[in-house]
Amino acid sequence: MLADLLQNTLDGLAQGATYALLALGFTLIFGVLRRANLSYGAAIMFGAYCATWASLRFQSGLLVLALVTIAGAVLAGAYVERLCFAPHNARGLRPGNAAIASMVASFALWMQFEEIVTLWMPQHLYAFPALYEGAALDIGTLTLGGPLTLRVESLITLACATAICAALWLILYRTRFGLAVRAVIDEPGAAGLSGINVSWVLIRVFALASAIGGLAGYLVVATHGQVTPMLGMWSTLKGMLAMMIGGLGSLPGAIVGGLVLGLVEAHTQWFLGPQSRDLVSYLLLFVLLAVHPAGLWPRSKPVET
Amino acid sequence: MQCIRPVCGRAASPWKRKGRILDAYLIGVLTNVGLFSFLALSGYLLLIAGELSFGQQAFFGIGAYAAGAATAMYGAPLWLAIILAMALGAAAAFLIGLPTLRLRGLYFAMATLAAAEMIRILFELLHFQRVVDGELVGPDGTQGFRGIRWIFEAGFGPQDYLCLVWALLAVVLLALLKIERSRLGVTLRMVGEDPGLSSQLGIDVVRFRLGVAAAAGSLAALGGALFAHHNTYVEPRNFDIMLGVHGLAYALIGGLGTAFGPLLGVLLDIGLLESSRVLSGYRMIVFGGLVALLLVFRPRGLLNEALVHRLTGGKR
Repeated sequence: MLADLLQNTLDGLAQGATYALLALGFTLIFGVLRRANLSYGAAIMFGAYCATWASLRFQSGLLVLALVTIAGAVLAGAYVERLCFAPHNARGLRPGNAAIASMVASFALWMQFEEIVTLWMPQHLYAFPALYEGAALDIGTLTLGGPLTLRVESLITLACATAICAALWLILYRTRFGLAVRAVIDEPGAAGLSGINVSWVLIRVFALASAIGGLAGYLVVATHGQVTPMLGMWSTLKGMLAMMIGGLGSLPGAIVGGLVLGLVEAHTQWFLGPQSRDLVSYLLLFVLLAVHPAGLWPRSKPVET
Repeated sequence: MQCIRPVCGRAASPWKRKGRILDAYLIGVLTNVGLFSFLALSGYLLLIAGELSFGQQAFFGIGAYAAGAATAMYGAPLWLAIILAMALGAAAAFLIGLPTLRLRGLYFAMATLAAAEMIRILFELLHFQRVVDGELVGPDGTQGFRGIRWIFEAGFGPQDYLCLVWALLAVVLLALLKIERSRLGVTLRMVGEDPGLSSQLGIDVVRFRLGVAAAAGSLAALGGALFAHHNTYVEPRNFDIMLGVHGLAYALIGGLGTAFGPLLGVLLDIGLLESSRVLSGYRMIVFGGLVALLLVFRPRGLLNEALVHRLTGGKR
């Protein structure tokens, strides 16, 4: 029983690290734009298909595949930004109307990406080179006297997530670009007046967020060893869920939300089964939004959507 | 997403009748346009009241399951099943709106999404069958709900069913157009445009939106009830988020200026693009790009408020 709990906690943290990365990308975009990007996951899926193609065509190595996934996601993200978000910034639309237009436009591009990848690679499922071929580490027998395994993929995922969080913190709090991003997040109007090129910040944040999402997508497909078109919807939903649980617009919230979602999913899946797992995580979000919409780790300054 | 789109070819089943005006394929397409217009209209109602819902597909699903159960399992006539479905849809929308309609923007959108996904998973867990005429009928978890055959048993041809769907749609459209020209419609748009000002003018915004949400829920359920009887088979994954966002997209492409907008959106997608087999395979690539471009130039859709105002000579 104890070993099960520990095992689930470990697995949940690893899964939660992926969710945290997805939510970080979402939060960055939401932070600067105040709008949700529904084709965030679709861009990640496009990157993953680029990598699958590279792996089938050139048998590329793992590092190359990771870079191809990220590059594909960034490229797709830039396309989404130019077509769905940039045009609505400068038009003097009411924020709510611009948000709805951008959201529906990004949904349309999601459908576009889905059809592009299914035409390009028509199989329902493609194998993806695994992150690690060997067996899982057994860390329990020595210390606890019971089986407790740690997958090497999980270790890599956790390490990557920690590294990304640290790097993101350095970028946001120790560089001029980061200062500009935070200024745009807090007061876009005032940031523009004080000489920050807001639209340039927006596209770079979009690229940064897509890169983080691309890395998360790579870790997911390489851990599971397969790619399907469902990756798009999965990434968008899990990213949004983790972001809202943590607190909309809050970067620490994205990490907390991701980890909490991962832990809740791992434990409910073990005790109640996969359908109840999703039921419980949606129930958690619903109750949280009803009683405390700011989330588990809210922004100090609430955001208007 | 092919999975949620009703197969238009389905209606091309052998069907002979004297004096038919339309061919079976066209009838199937037009029926689908009518069905999905109800969903688009329900998204539209909430959009003009200033809320974005990612959850209307759940009420569509509730309508489909409730009406299907009423006719296939308990032998109720279709009209009764439709009324039941609409009542249940309104009740569910009201209950979900109660704790969530204080929320705005993405908060509300995500709360409705969470509720809708919970309802879809509950459909997956729902096993409730009974024996009718020596056959097990009823929702069977992820296997779906088969054998909703009321329209065949009652001797409805596809053309008759098409007329029924469009007659109901016409009634709904007329009612909405009438409402939009009334004081209620003005209030509806005012609440959507500026909730703060509306509450200062003495409108209880949350209560007003609860009413709108219930109406939107019953509209979606009406569409779902008709969908179930058209398809004869529904399954939980028909009602995932894809369906809901399609409904929203239809409403926004068509335009938020008039209740004809959502209908135009559905006509453009299902009627024109999905059915013209010219683009088969590339449809979403073309359509997705066109939608994104259209929204750059007309962020409130084709029939937006300004155009409708001009067309009606400002007599609204």
